[in-house]
Amino acid sequence: MSHSIMIMCEQNDGRILPVTDELLACAARIAGCYHSRITAVLPGNITDADAISGVELLVINSPGLAEYTGEGWEKTAILAAGEIKPDIIIIAHTSTGYDYAPRVAARLDGSCITSVSGIEISEGDISYRRGGFHGKLDLLYRAGQRPLIITVLPGAFAPYDQSAAPGMVRYIDTDIHPANISNVHFSSSDQSNTELEHAEVIIAAGKGIGKAENLEMIREMASCFKRSAIAGSRVACDNRWIEYNAQVGLTGKKVAPLLYVACGISGSAQHLAGMKDSKTVVSINRDPEAAIFRHSDICIVEELEKFIPEFIREAEKHRV
Amino acid sequence: MIAITKSYAGEPIKLANFAAKKLLPLSGISRARVQNQPRTDMKILVCIKQVTDQESRLTVNPEKTWADYGENASYWINRYDEHAVEEALQIREKISSAVIDIVSIGPARVKTAIKRCMEMGADQGFHLRYDCEDYLSPSLKSRLIAEFCQARAYDLILTGVMSEDMMSGQTGPMTAARLGIPSAASVMKLEVDLEKECLQVERELDAGHRCLMELKLPALASVQSGLNRPRYPSLSNVMRAKNTEIIEISCADSLPAAEYETVEKIQEAGSDRAGIRLQGTTAEKAAALWQLLHEKSLL
Repeated sequence: MSHSIMIMCEQNDGRILPVTDELLACAARIAGCYHSRITAVLPGNITDADAISGVELLVINSPGLAEYTGEGWEKTAILAAGEIKPDIIIIAHTSTGYDYAPRVAARLDGSCITSVSGIEISEGDISYRRGGFHGKLDLLYRAGQRPLIITVLPGAFAPYDQSAAPGMVRYIDTDIHPANISNVHFSSSDQSNTELEHAEVIIAAGKGIGKAENLEMIREMASCFKRSAIAGSRVACDNRWIEYNAQVGLTGKKVAPLLYVACGISGSAQHLAGMKDSKTVVSINRDPEAAIFRHSDICIVEELEKFIPEFIREAEKHRV
Repeated sequence: MIAITKSYAGEPIKLANFAAKKLLPLSGISRARVQNQPRTDMKILVCIKQVTDQESRLTVNPEKTWADYGENASYWINRYDEHAVEEALQIREKISSAVIDIVSIGPARVKTAIKRCMEMGADQGFHLRYDCEDYLSPSLKSRLIAEFCQARAYDLILTGVMSEDMMSGQTGPMTAARLGIPSAASVMKLEVDLEKECLQVERELDAGHRCLMELKLPALASVQSGLNRPRYPSLSNVMRAKNTEIIEISCADSLPAAEYETVEKIQEAGSDRAGIRLQGTTAEKAAALWQLLHEKSLL
């Protein structure tokens, strides 16, 4: 029997989101190894889905799938898996993906690898790479019992180049309704932060700053630069040292300044997703093995409380 | 059936015997109650993981299939799970008859983390003893926890959205799926509504968006950090925890025969930038950094 890959399209209001192209790119690489057939699955309440080049698109339609619920998407994936009989199911590691993907794995009693950052092919078999041990090490996983469910980190794969002939679209009308989840509402808070969005230099504080009082030195360091702003990691925001509208990472802001200075930030995949496109990255951390150093241009192994005041003095020296 | 044995008062008891004592059918773990009478009690389980300090030194094993932190590592409760414990305690402040159980899988050291939760105020601790420090698939963990839950009729299961060290975020949602109950991941706010028998949650989505919804109880929520501020143990709870035994259930040699994903190899994390390490004294490094940034016209 031929090898089969199923991808779950990421969508919003029936429109397929760009991250889906990254899932297709991942699928195409796996298909290159196993000669797999690729089927994309789109849950929703849609009548005019756009075809995807080179793959079959299976639209699972139900009024109960008009908006995302973990239960609705789980049931859709189970139904589609029954049709497609996939060896591998690929889902985006987004706020929807990590909500339902592990449930699908449990229901199908398959293997599961989340937040995959890459795949490695050797001798006709595939290993799935993800960070572990606080992001300090890369772990290569092998699939176990089938199906294998993976969630792929946004940004990990360059988007699939849609040049092949448009694929077929097939609709399945169902009556999937979430029975245990109700009264779903979406809201968005005003998280705008013009200063951060326009900053050319961002000085970001992490867990390593240790206490609120140390924020002053972060601010002072920022004032050494023109068009600068301060930001924080998730931990810095959770500790209320930094406002949530200045949180950089997968669940916060995505920034790409000319210079990003990470102060006491360990460098989890979640944080890197928010700043990896910065032009120059400088990291200051007392832990010589901190993951952030692998994603930095300039690394400084120092105590923040010693180094930052020293740097500020240095900058002042040149100002006169 | 997962055959877990429980060493309790010297006599090992199979976990299956726990199930035999159950009072209710396994489908739907909520308990029977007098019809038309709103419930006033509640049984909460918090699933926690013990993790190491992220600055502890790692040693990769010779086979390069796993790493460990050595004997001097300091361990604590996974930060996200600590928020889950706090959330459970806050629910009990509103529903005073609520009972909070803690469960954790791992070797003997895990008891310290469970004890800490009890010092924070949890009522009872259960240690699913598993001594091997190698990779244990979240699929297996969720099967062990689901098996543990079957007979215990929890109304609400709380856990962290992920662990700090491995960040898989699988065990919670998988446990819920195996129990056939709804779940929500990355919860920023939650409220129990006993009259409506539901859990109101606010999930964190990407870029400041939120999703509010109601989950029918029993339900599982995996919580994000920042939804509360975990308390420090009070003296009275420390004293009480001292006198409360943690119940150990051994799952050493009886994991389900399933072949889930495995860790084949561990390697140094890849590097995608130059990674120049500045050398010298603090002052020399500061001067070097200024110079480098100046050359890039950033200063």
